[in-house]
Amino acid sequence: MSATDGPVPPFSQRTLRLVLYALLVLFALMQLFPLVWVGVYSLQKSGDLFGSELLKLPSDPQWNNYVRAFRDGSVLQYALNSAFVVTVSTVISTVLSFCLAYAITRLQWRLKVVALAAITLGMVVPIHTTLLPNFIWFGFFGLIDSHWGLIIPYVAFTLSFNTLVYMGQFATIPRSIEEAALLDGASWPRILWRVIAPMTMPATMTVAVMTFLSNWNEFIMANTYLASDEKRTLPFSIIRFQGQYASDYAVQFACMVLVALPALLLYFLFSSRIMEGATAGAVKG
Amino acid sequence: MKTTRRILLAAMLLAPGLALGADKIILKMGDNLPDRTNGWGAVVERINAEFKAANPGVEIITESYPDQPYQEKMKIYATAKQQPDVFKYWSFSTLLKPMVDGRFVVPLEQATFAKYGYLPGALESNVYDGKLYGIPVSADLWVVYYNKKLFKDAGIDKVPATLEEVIALAPRFKAKGIVPMTTDGKDAWPLAITLDQLVWRLAGDSTLPRKALERKMKFTDPMFVKAATLIQQMVKAGLFQEDLGVSDYGASRNLFGQGKAAMYLMGSWELGLATDSSFSEEFRANVDAFKFPTVAGGKGRTDDLFAWYGGNYVVSSSSKNVELGKKYLEFYASRFPMLAWEKQAAFPAQKVTAQPKDTALAKTLLRIASEATATSGTAALDLSTPAFKEDLQNAVRELSSNLLSPEEFCAKVDAAAEKAARKR
Amino acid sequence: MRETFENRPLVACLVLPSVAVMLFAMLIPLGFSVYYSMTDWAGFGDYQFVGLENYRDILASDKVFWRALWNTALLMLVTIFVQNPIAFALAALLTNVSQRLSRILRTIYFVPAVLSLVIIAKMWVNIFNPTYGVLNKMLRDLGLQALAVSWLSNPNTAIWAVIFIIVWQGFGWALLFYYAGLMTVPRELQEAARVDGASWLQTYVRVVIPYLYPAIGAVIVIDVISSMKQMELIFLSTAGGPGQLTQFLGVYLYQKAFVSGEYGYGNALSVLFVAIAIGLTLLVRRAMPAARDAS
Repeated sequence: MSATDGPVPPFSQRTLRLVLYALLVLFALMQLFPLVWVGVYSLQKSGDLFGSELLKLPSDPQWNNYVRAFRDGSVLQYALNSAFVVTVSTVISTVLSFCLAYAITRLQWRLKVVALAAITLGMVVPIHTTLLPNFIWFGFFGLIDSHWGLIIPYVAFTLSFNTLVYMGQFATIPRSIEEAALLDGASWPRILWRVIAPMTMPATMTVAVMTFLSNWNEFIMANTYLASDEKRTLPFSIIRFQGQYASDYAVQFACMVLVALPALLLYFLFSSRIMEGATAGAVKG
Repeated sequence: MKTTRRILLAAMLLAPGLALGADKIILKMGDNLPDRTNGWGAVVERINAEFKAANPGVEIITESYPDQPYQEKMKIYATAKQQPDVFKYWSFSTLLKPMVDGRFVVPLEQATFAKYGYLPGALESNVYDGKLYGIPVSADLWVVYYNKKLFKDAGIDKVPATLEEVIALAPRFKAKGIVPMTTDGKDAWPLAITLDQLVWRLAGDSTLPRKALERKMKFTDPMFVKAATLIQQMVKAGLFQEDLGVSDYGASRNLFGQGKAAMYLMGSWELGLATDSSFSEEFRANVDAFKFPTVAGGKGRTDDLFAWYGGNYVVSSSSKNVELGKKYLEFYASRFPMLAWEKQAAFPAQKVTAQPKDTALAKTLLRIASEATATSGTAALDLSTPAFKEDLQNAVRELSSNLLSPEEFCAKVDAAAEKAARKR
Repeated sequence: MRETFENRPLVACLVLPSVAVMLFAMLIPLGFSVYYSMTDWAGFGDYQFVGLENYRDILASDKVFWRALWNTALLMLVTIFVQNPIAFALAALLTNVSQRLSRILRTIYFVPAVLSLVIIAKMWVNIFNPTYGVLNKMLRDLGLQALAVSWLSNPNTAIWAVIFIIVWQGFGWALLFYYAGLMTVPRELQEAARVDGASWLQTYVRVVIPYLYPAIGAVIVIDVISSMKQMELIFLSTAGGPGQLTQFLGVYLYQKAFVSGEYGYGNALSVLFVAIAIGLTLLVRRAMPAARDAS
């Protein structure tokens, strides 16, 4: 991918080029700011948050906030729980949405309209509406206070969007691919897994990363469906430092940084793969 | 061979579990104190440790969330009949009464608890239909905290006694860039309580809000309109922080603790301000409180104290350990006052004796409590339905944002009261 | 060959698991919700069946409901006509810098989307603070005292401040989608236009954007749905205030169901929410024929 894959603007004018670069950098600073803000305040004393400075560089960095976060916030345990719940739900959601999207776009069956309606419905149902009914309903199956009781709704709420992403991707793959494979005598599992799936890598990357990110910070359902401390997920660590009236803000911020780090790392590692995959479409088209 | 080994392994793993299961009774608890290392949460941990030592074979598991999520979870648990055995709750009719009506909590023996030195009216606040349903844990007095140093710096040497005096102080603090008074404007309940307090100060009668809720009078009565006008006067005089409507509990508290506000309108549970290590030494040494001011020309007196007993503990009716739960409550009642007072973690609903190392603030609060000649009981906002509470709070927010005139405000509140009365 | 693509067991294998999960965790609770919306349940305890009374109350006399819809409409307009074009322009700029710089910038631009909404909300409440916030500080330093208002609690500015926060947080996603879309535009198409003498701007307007209609359409549908679903950022900043002026349906239904103890009413709001959201989605798809092709 060279620098002129997109349309070529008149960059011959140096000032224009500088201005545009400046804009990009300015925007970058603006987007980075929240992370810097949280990082800075996570090293302060709790009361400093409401001070008069926007960013007070810590003259006396309270690394202890992080120690407390780990020790009193059970960060490690919660992180392991989050890793399990979010990874499993991401994998399941990715696989299921791949299958559903394939069936809708590539196969012929009568109840397609019903499936599409379900997908549309799935995109708009608000989470709060499902909390109380699910609490009782899941209870019948012993799913309350269990990780699977979180995984299932995490999958359900991300299925619709993921299916749509895959459906868009499948539209770019010509029918001839399957027809050729079938003529070669390949079985369906083989076709899906070995032929189609690799071609949908950009969609898979997009879907996986987005599902992971949206479930990593999820809090409402985790709060409602879990009860025991040893099952809790990472966002709960922040709650541990909220007292009835007084709150230790700085340590909460330290927890927020710890929650954000894995998500940022994941995105950084995979963002290029998403983009590189997306350009495969350009090469073909 | 492999099978035998597997069986042996399973037996080894299960055995300890079986042994534990046979002996240990698990007492499930719930509260709104997620922080177990400071303040009230730490006190409960201590009480639990002592209870376990005195009752070997009992294990205590606690689920804690901040206020709002906690209330929601407890209600969900109630619906699913899975409430903790013992949990912290509130005596308000908006919260406890539905639990009583739904038979989700068990009645307690009032006689058993009478010997634990409860302040007058404390146990009664938890009585519904003639039975005691919870034990009160905190006494909540409505006061004004202030920063002595900021007062001195502004050249004010006397604590204000009337509301007019308080408002007159505003420009002097603002000239120094200090917010005169801060309170939680986002949640609206502090101003709703203040409204009731002002009605009392004006009319000399603390039963007016209750009468209005019972529809024996209306909220559009001149006393209420006058009180609402006073609140708006306070806001318009710039007494409060500029972003009152979005300033939440933590933000407003921190404004005061950081020395950026001279006064803090809040309840006695904030006695921990004087020992909060996240604030400066200077602040802690200078924080004190004074009685809520009177209104010029009003019939209320300084020692009419707006006080209620909010926090309590209850035993769930779906618990399998009801007797153990009651035993725990008695233990809590016996240990909590001293431990909480020691740590300045709460203002107990039971009598405590002043300790030599009490802060000036704690001593003042004790004095205010003992000098009270009359107390009010719960404020109107918690005497009706949750819907009324939300409507009242929304109206208060609109009043304090100058979106409603006092008359319009009172009309709205009255309509909400009418709606609530019809539902009951 | 055609029969192979009608392979019933295959379809069942591929479709049933997804449908089962959605049914289990979303559609059945929605059914419960419809039922409860026709009662006066408080969330626990006894209740009575009230039929369509809640719906009547909402549509006929609930001013807050209509205000919430109005705010949602404002948010949608700002998102589609302000946020999207800016995100598109930035994405276009990004396609013209070196790959390494592009990758770094893209990661940075996505940061707010990765952070918890609690951080975003707290931060902006801080920035918008009338006395201590940096925005008013800057305005005062520039001599623009009159503009240094109480952004989140002033009845005139509150909704715009809230919309700003939401739109700002969503930039990362919009940028991502548009960048991915721009990367699929074939070079030959653009070069052909250039050869024909089209300026840079004309190339974009006449060639690139039309090519991306499906992608743009998809983004707009997502914008519409996410505008309706906004909840946390509003709840954590203004909670719908001052005086319900910044109320949104997601927040309102939560407050009614869980705070006011009007669970039945809150569920009626939810059902209306779902109906309106679906209606809007269908409307947008119909209005953008190219978007229909994409899905």
